Order: sequence, then structure tokens, then C-alpha cells
Amino acid sequence: MIRLQNIEKVYRTDTVETLAIDNITLDIAKGEFLSIMGPSGCGKSTLLNIIGLLDEPSKGSIRIDDQDTSRFSDQQMAKFRNQKLGFIFQSYHLINDLQVLDNVELPLLYRTSSAKERRQLATEALEKVGLSNRLKHFPNQLSGGQRQRVAIARAIVGRPQIILADEPTGNLDSAMGNEIMDILINLNKNDGTTIIMVTHDENMAHKTHRLVRLFDGSQVQ
Amino acid sequence: MIKHLFTLIWNKRKHNVLFLSEILISFLVIFAVFSMFVFYYLNYVKPSGFEYERVWSISYNNPLKTKDKDTLATFYKQVRSTLTALPQIEELSFSSHNYPYSNSISTSGFSYKDKKLIGVNFFQTDEDYCKVLGINVIEGRWFKKEDGLMKNNYMIINASLKKAMFGNETAIGKYTGEDKDENRSLIIGVIDDVKTTGDYWPAGQSMYKMVDSGAYEWLGIMLLKVSKDADAAFESRLSKILAKAIPNSNIEIKHLTETRESKNSDTVIPVIICSIIAGFLIINVALGLFGVLWYNINQRRGEIGLRRAIGASGSSISSQLVAESMLLATLSLIVGFFFAIQFPLLSVFNVPPQVYLIALLMAIAFIYLLVIVCSLYPGRQAAAIHPAIALHEE
Ligand SMILES: Nc1ncnc2c1ncn2[C@@H]1O[C@H](COP(=O)(O)OP(=O)(O)OP(=O)(O)O)[C@@H](O)[C@H]1O
Ligand SMILES: [Mg+2]
Repeated sequence: MIRLQNIEKVYRTDTVETLAIDNITLDIAKGEFLSIMGPSGCGKSTLLNIIGLLDEPSKGSIRIDDQDTSRFSDQQMAKFRNQKLGFIFQSYHLINDLQVLDNVELPLLYRTSSAKERRQLATEALEKVGLSNRLKHFPNQLSGGQRQRVAIARAIVGRPQIILADEPTGNLDSAMGNEIMDILINLNKNDGTTIIMVTHDENMAHKTHRLVRLFDGSQVQ
Repeated sequence: MIKHLFTLIWNKRKHNVLFLSEILISFLVIFAVFSMFVFYYLNYVKPSGFEYERVWSISYNNPLKTKDKDTLATFYKQVRSTLTALPQIEELSFSSHNYPYSNSISTSGFSYKDKKLIGVNFFQTDEDYCKVLGINVIEGRWFKKEDGLMKNNYMIINASLKKAMFGNETAIGKYTGEDKDENRSLIIGVIDDVKTTGDYWPAGQSMYKMVDSGAYEWLGIMLLKVSKDADAAFESRLSKILAKAIPNSNIEIKHLTETRESKNSDTVIPVIICSIIAGFLIINVALGLFGVLWYNINQRRGEIGLRRAIGASGSSISSQLVAESMLLATLSLIVGFFFAIQFPLLSVFNVPPQVYLIALLMAIAFIYLLVIVCSLYPGRQAAAIHPAIALHEE
């Protein structure tokens, strides 16, 4: 499903060069639930962004779904992200000026869909995360766990094959974190969604199929 | 997408008040300035209706104490022949004080049957006025010398007055006023509109009557058409001749070309001042808009990063931001439109409605242009925001 080959990422600023990813090769199978762990600054987010086509590797190639993404134009990448990928972030990244339902509908606005269809898919997605009673709320009227569930609903509303989650439980207490984790596990089990999750929590990581540890940009396990 | 943007704008309405009011105010200012431009422009492109080149005006005071018509007539007949004997003077006409580009106006009512117009310009002239100013007669004829000997109830009107009063019918042979009226005048001619108040003002509706010899008592203007070789030397000679012919009179010779310029600058200078002020205002507003948009984009980096992540390309980000500003501008313009449309509906300041309508369209186009120009660059900057970095920031 996803094949990273000799990925390297160097950040260059005027004075320093940071090697954030150092020659990582990784295969992720369809339907796999993979977790990535490692100390702060070891390049987890960078790796996830590269897989998510939000950032370009300095070296190496990525194939997703048997497509060489390095040749994609900006438009093609946008389309690819929209159709195949779902993102979940530690800090939710909800649009505070939009109601829950409108937030969840967002990805569908970037593809051809009718208003009715959008409404329906978004409502379904929110049902899946157990938030069907909060459709008209604004994000700042929700708890952290609820916000993250909205973000998950937004990530799954377009039925992506791959979900990329960067510390989805990082801002939540363990009870809330477990709830979110359960949703992700169900998604992986029931819908066969491939999930790649960055986490700091060993317990969470052990609930996944495979754990990849990074240290200083390299894979150590 | 439009609906989505509307939702977004609506939910942020408090945040957008500044933007909306800036647009509204600049729209109203632009509308006012454009109305002025259009009004003056539409008048400007109309022909002046006469020739002002080589026309000199001479103002004088009648030095004679007598009221006797014959004495007056004889005296001014003498003045006329003294002047017309000069080879440089091609034509000469006596006129009331409201000759073209003068600062005097004289208006009166004009009625035909039961229709009455007020504020009609009233000129008192003689048989040579038309020749001095090269005015074109459309219908009928100009005054003849003999008309002065008659009971003097002939009248000539301009095209605007004719159109307002008689429409497509002919005006020639019609009597003004009511049937019983002693002072009814017979319309004998229709002439082209003459823009007497400068190039930027409408000619208005005008009527012309011939002076009778009694009028010499108060007449104070002679208009001369001079030949090409009438130079400064001739002017000073003329001034001496006049001083002798009309003694004890304050004689002043002016060239209509110069009077015209000063009359026009009475209009143009305020317009320039208004335009400069409006221009500064617009620059301010443009910078303001630019700033607001720029600020908004920096406030919304997270949102922009997110949109990129869920499927927006760089160009769709920038077009979204431009579209948002256009929608906001549209909201302001709708409000502004309701104010502005009152002007043509109520014919405010007696300005023709088409002036306001043209200005309205121009102002709308201008505002959209301004908003597009001000949002293009911030939009491009937004498109250039790196999604990974923007998402990392919060
Ligand atoms: N835009 C950037 N410019 C320069 N250096 C960067 C940039 N983004 C990340 N880095 C550097 O790359 C390295 C990896 O960063 P990354 O965000 O991937 O770490 P991380 O493993 O996600 O850490 P954390 O667990 O704290 O989120 C860090 O040393 C960081 O300083
Ligand atoms: Mg990170």
C-alpha cells in the first residue's frame, strides 16, 4: 500500500542543516495499523507529513497505492490527499468559525458532491464517532475529546483508505485517549482503513499491529 | 463552495464589520465622485453650440441720463457704426449681461397653454447676436432688424426648451402663454443649445428676445467678432476709441477664450481637489483592505494548512480568499446600492438619472477591481504557505 524507499529529509535554514529523516525504508500493508514512537524531535511528524504529501522528502521515493507521488503536481497532490488520505492532528485543527457539521463536511467541498450528500455523509461520520447530538455546536463549545472525535469524523467522512494520525491522544486524558483509540481500532477493523499513528503512549502503541521506533531520524526497530 | 464561504463569512460577521464598512464608505465616496465625473463628462462632450474664438466682450455703463428712446437709439447707433467701421470688427451685437461665460444669469418662466416651465434662461439680444457667436439655427429664423421695429413679441428658443415644451411637434408659429395674455410671444426660431455656463455644465432651457430701443438704457454688454489680425495693439486702440465713443464709462474688454477658461476652472479646480481627496481616501482604504486581508491570512494559517491537508491546492486557497473578499464586497455593495439608487430615483440635484446609473455601475466595478487587486497578493501569499509548517504551528 505504502512503500517508502530511502527517504531522507533535510531542513535547511540559513545557519543550520537538520537531518530530520535519515534513510528510512518502510513498507506498510493495506489494512495495517502502524504506530510510530520515538523521542521528541526524532522526526515522527516529519515522516508522517511526507507520507501525507504535505512535505517533500529531500531524497528517496514514496509509492502509495502503486503511484509514484513524487511526480504529482500541486493539483494532483491535493486531489490525492482529498480522496485517499485522512488527517488527524494532536491539536485537532478544527475551524472555530464553523459548526461541527460544517467542519466535518469540509473535505467533501473539495470534490464534486451535492449539499444533500455532504450533509448525509457528515452526519453518518459524526454518528460513527458518537457525536450526532452536537451537529450545531461550534468547536469551542466542545471538550477536547469531543473535538478530536469531530476531527476523526472529518478525517473519515471522505472514506479515505489511509488515515494519518499525529499524536491523536496527545492532548487528552487516558480515558478520552482510550475512547479515541477504540474508534481508530474499529475503523481499522471494520472498514479496513490503513492507519499510521504517531504516539508517545506505549499502551496505545501496543494496541496496534506494528510499532516502528525512530531515533534521530532513523528507524531503530 | 459559495454557500460554504457564506456560512464562514456569516459566522465571522463581527470580525468582518471593519472590512464591510470600509467598502461601504468607499463605495459611497466613489459613487459621489463618479457621479460628478460623469455629469461633467456628459456635458463636456456636448458641443458648446457657439464659437468663442475671436469673440470679445465689452462691458460698459450707459453714460446717458436720458430715458428717451430715440436719443438712446441714436447714440448707440453711432457707437455701433464707429466700431463696425473698423476693419478688424466683423460683427457686433448688444447683449444682456448674461452673455456666454459671464457670471450673470437671468431666468424666467415659460408657459405654453397650461404647461409651465420655470428657471428658463432668458437672454436679451439683437439681430447680430447669432452671427457674432456663430449659433446654428435649427428651425425658423433668427431675429431681423425689422423685428425690433415691430411690437417686439417674437421669441427664439433653444432645442432643449423646444423638446421639453413641444416634444416632436414644431415650435414655430406657436404663441407662448395663455390666449388672453397681452405679452404673448410668437416663436419664430429654434436654435442649437448654447452652453453659456462653461463646457462642463448643461445648456439648460433658454429663450431669447430681441431688445427694443428702450433697453439701451440698461444694456451694458457688446459682443464683438473680430478678425484674425485683431491683436493687442488693436485692442488698446479699440479701448481708446471706446473711451471716446462712450465717455465716462468703465470700459472693460475681455476675450471669450479667457473668460471660458476661468469659467471652466471654476468647475475643474473643485473637481481636482475632490479627486485628490477621494484618491487619498481610496489609497487609504486600499492599504486598509490589504492590511486586513494580510492580517486575516496570518490569523488563518492553521486553517489554510488544514485545507491544504484535506484537499485544497495552492491555487484553490488563493481563489477562496479572493472569493471571500468579493463576497464581502458584494454584501457592502448591496447595502450601498440601496443608498445610491435613491439618487436616480429621486432625481436628486436635478441631475439626469442616467448620470447616477452610469456612476453606480462604474463605482461597483471600481470597488470589485479594488478588492481584487488588494486580495490577489495576500491570496498568493496564502497559497504559498507551507501546509506542514502551518499545521505544525498551533
Ligand atoms: N520546518 C522546519 N524547519 C527546520 N527544522 C525542522 C522543521 N520542522 C521540523 N524540523 C526539525 O526536524 C526534526 C524533526 O522534527 P519533527 O517535528 O518531525 O519531530 P517529532 O518527532 O514530531 O517531535 P515531537 O514528538 O516533539 O512532535 C526536529 O529536530 C525539528 O527541529
Ligand atoms: Mg511531532
